[in-house]
Amino acid sequence: MDYDVIVIGGGHAGIEASLAVSRLGFSTLMITQSLDAIGRLSCNPAIGGLSKGNIVREVDALGGEMARLIDATMIQYRTLNKRKGPAVQAPRAQADKFLYNRLAMDTLGRQANLVLFQDTVVEILVNTSGRDVSGVLTERGNRINAKAVIMTTGTFMDGRVFIGEYQASSGRLGEPAALGLGDSLRGMGFVLGRMKTGTPARVAASSLNFDLMEEQPGDSKMLPFSFGKNSIDRPSVPCFITFTNEKTHTIISKNMHRSPLYSGEIIGNGPRYCPSLEDKVVRFPDRNRHQIFVEPEGIGSQEMYLNGISTSLPEDVQEAFLRTIPGLEDVRIMRPGYAVEYDYMDPTQLYPSLETKKISGLFVAGQTNGTSGYEEAACQGLMAGINAALKLQSKDPLILSRDLAYTGVLIDDLVTLGTEEPYRMFTSRAEYRLNLRHDSADIRLVPLGYRIGLQSEEVFDRLNKKIEGIEEIKALLASRYMKSSDLDSAPEGFSRHLGKKFGQILKNPDVNIDQLSKLEPRIEEYPREWISHSELDIKYEGYIIRQMKQVERFNKMEKKRIPRDFDYDLVEGISSESREKLKKIKPCSIGQASRISGVRNSDIAVLMVMLKRSNRNEE
Amino acid sequence: MEDYIYDTDDPIVALATAWSESALAVIRTSGRGSVELFSRVFSNSRELKKSLGFTLHYGYIVDQNRKKRIDQVTAAVYRAPKSYTGQESVEIFCHGSLPGIELIITLLKDVGFREAGPGEFTMRAFLNGKMDLSQAEAVAEIVQSKSRQAHSLALNRLSGGVFDRIDTIKKKLVDLMSIIEVQLDYPDDEIGGDTAVPSDSVLHAIEELETLIDTYRVGRIFHEGVVVAFAGGTNAGKSSLFNLFLKEDRSIVSEINGTTRDYIESWISINGIPVRLFDTAGLRNADHPVELEGIRRSEEIIKNAAVVLYVIDGSVGMTDEDLKVFQEKGKGNEYMFIWNKIDESDKTVPRGVFPVSAVTGKGFSDLEKAISSGLTGLEISGSELMIDSLRQRELLERAVAALKGVKKSLANKVSLDAVALDLKDGLDALGEITGEVSSEDILNNIFSGFCVGK
Repeated sequence: MDYDVIVIGGGHAGIEASLAVSRLGFSTLMITQSLDAIGRLSCNPAIGGLSKGNIVREVDALGGEMARLIDATMIQYRTLNKRKGPAVQAPRAQADKFLYNRLAMDTLGRQANLVLFQDTVVEILVNTSGRDVSGVLTERGNRINAKAVIMTTGTFMDGRVFIGEYQASSGRLGEPAALGLGDSLRGMGFVLGRMKTGTPARVAASSLNFDLMEEQPGDSKMLPFSFGKNSIDRPSVPCFITFTNEKTHTIISKNMHRSPLYSGEIIGNGPRYCPSLEDKVVRFPDRNRHQIFVEPEGIGSQEMYLNGISTSLPEDVQEAFLRTIPGLEDVRIMRPGYAVEYDYMDPTQLYPSLETKKISGLFVAGQTNGTSGYEEAACQGLMAGINAALKLQSKDPLILSRDLAYTGVLIDDLVTLGTEEPYRMFTSRAEYRLNLRHDSADIRLVPLGYRIGLQSEEVFDRLNKKIEGIEEIKALLASRYMKSSDLDSAPEGFSRHLGKKFGQILKNPDVNIDQLSKLEPRIEEYPREWISHSELDIKYEGYIIRQMKQVERFNKMEKKRIPRDFDYDLVEGISSESREKLKKIKPCSIGQASRISGVRNSDIAVLMVMLKRSNRNEE
Repeated sequence: MEDYIYDTDDPIVALATAWSESALAVIRTSGRGSVELFSRVFSNSRELKKSLGFTLHYGYIVDQNRKKRIDQVTAAVYRAPKSYTGQESVEIFCHGSLPGIELIITLLKDVGFREAGPGEFTMRAFLNGKMDLSQAEAVAEIVQSKSRQAHSLALNRLSGGVFDRIDTIKKKLVDLMSIIEVQLDYPDDEIGGDTAVPSDSVLHAIEELETLIDTYRVGRIFHEGVVVAFAGGTNAGKSSLFNLFLKEDRSIVSEINGTTRDYIESWISINGIPVRLFDTAGLRNADHPVELEGIRRSEEIIKNAAVVLYVIDGSVGMTDEDLKVFQEKGKGNEYMFIWNKIDESDKTVPRGVFPVSAVTGKGFSDLEKAISSGLTGLEISGSELMIDSLRQRELLERAVAALKGVKKSLANKVSLDAVALDLKDGLDALGEITGEVSSEDILNNIFSGFCVGK
């Protein structure tokens, strides 16, 4: 055996997968088509965002790398949706994408047990039974053996780039696609489909007139994504906002026939939540303008990213419509916008461990599974890496449940429901989102990271101190009364709170913890992060308790395991539609089974009876 | 849709006998704390709680809030694992009147029981090892057929109009949810700032749902019938009118005062509404103990009737007693005053009194119409929208409660993620009637209605 594990691809999924496996002590090989492209931010130069920022922090809590990469390379930071409630607040940072890419390469390069190798995998090898993975075959004829293989091919599997009439076999503009691997997988009986995504043009900063745009600065204080860091010392640069107008839309409408999206050249589904400018103009004809965020791609780079107007129109049309936009009158395109279409694996072919049902030891993660976004890719890569390692240790896989992490929601949705378009995380996909605050990711997941061996004793101890501290703060607030002597330094109107406990007062929507901690210096002795965590816990207590009750019910069903080899043909009295779906998805639990679309409640009840019976027979 | 949880021990309740009028009915409960929970509505609670199982207890079901006895029952106590389900359980043997059963079940739900899902008792029995393996298939079939039946029942009961009305409200709430979720799923700067949540559409939905809930009474009347009783002085012609309704000579009609000593009841149909019509003893001063008892019972029936048909002897005119009742009840909807014997006299009929003749049948069909519209509060026609199942009413009430929460949260400027929680509850409740709303549905609605995304 040459290696324990081979990771195919060096994107955001591949980085996390290879680091997790090698950090857990397994000899690992990462094969990538270009060593220089490891950790490249192919689309927008930003990490985080609503629910995505939560995912980054989850990755960090489990022992992944993404948070540390962005902490060290951010050039602007914002906490989004501060006014809309803690459950849906999240951090986002603009990244210096060149720095990010270099730091990722550097991190992987220094990692013990990890070997980086440039080549292109064309075939997944299996043993004689055809059921276990045995390694990979590369374009240059290298046959490399491994006990497990993690596929993170992103948009590269049979990728095709489109710019107007121009087409090329590429995974990213200017980078060749990975050909052959898709056919190899199809030959093994996997179902693959096509998806599409796109990017806008990158333009030269020196050709823009920023005076005609609105400046959008970051928050004055940068906050870290990583729980291991307390502060960030990085330069902060602004983004800019401008808008398209009717002239822009007229040019686009006139040239619509030259767009590969509308000429029928592209068959893959694109993401509806991130439509191209062509799509926006066609689908929302009433809108006379669309917003553009002009984002720097890095300090010391001229490239600016035109977020919001991804397009695959021909380059001359791109230039023409860009020049109708305020501030972009003399724009020079450095890289044109383009669409990319690629092979993805129907993710319902995976177990929640991200291992394929067909081939033991073959794991798939990231955009290959039909997702979109760096964060979505990273968390899958991490979980695939962890589960490959656990498999080699002959341990049960780590499955994060829907009430524990966005990562769990994402993977459960993918393997249970599949996806018709590039899957992006939204807070509304999580039924228990009050439990999934970004500031609680460490409380939720560090213990798991520690148990697996990706988090150190020190991190675990630090978490326990934090938990204790938060309890102390809450106890303090629960016991401290508002006294008349407090009134001098209290805000106006606080006399109505006289005699009430601080914890009770804090529940008023118009009261915040700062007003109270000024009256009680013992609170201010604790770290800022702990204080605000306590505040949210108290303010949302009622809602959280309500949610916990739902979670309790949910977990009961999740704990009813269904054996992998359970024979659904032996279950009498369920509809044939349900039976086919259950056979395809092979749910791990009654809970998962009940989420498969089209499986009826009564069929689930029958299934439970049969499960109980087969368990008894075994006893 | 709310998942049926088939393997828990939370307390559940269901009527074990058929849902129809009968002498006796059995209400069954099962689950953790059943005995303690039941004791909260049972007069003989101390003895009940001490029971080690397999004991019968006599007592009253008591509505603690209204300090009112509901029914006289016996209750059987079972202790786990020695019961049908293998769980702690109480079986209640009560009288078989449908409103009574409903009231008892409502009280039990108020103290913490949940209405059982289809086949849930049987399921629990199986899961707790109360059935041998060969019975498993049978259980599966029962669970399936019951839920199918429940499903088709629910659908059949829901007229197309009601379904559409609820579905329309639900769609409006989905739009509302989308307005909230798009602001939670996208940062301010990507969607051009805040979109106000239209609180008037919440109010509107609450109003519409409450209107639907009000139709429950009407629907229920059609479903189960309603009590209508005659009242009035002796010899005013109550029994003659009763017979006219029955179109058969059932009660004894005579010229001698006080022939109807007790009451007589019969089921009839007035314009399609099932009615339990009572002919009562005349209200007068009597000294015979049997008559006195008859009068006492009559008063009880009149008190509980939905509509009282007060008959005045038109050949005599209003007596002092008639006048007293007329002044007291003439303005309300419960009493209808009937001027009988118009064939015998041409006295002027006072306003608000129906002239009829029990002998010739004159004025009778107008009276029937007036009774039926009085009963329903609506002009009766087959196309009126009505809900007629308790389950539907409960779900609509749950939706209203959730929406009131939304209204309150919006008024108090609670953050949107918390508002969404209540709205989701409301949508789930309506979803149980007309079909589930998934997070994917909301996202679809967002993507088609909002131009979002960088």
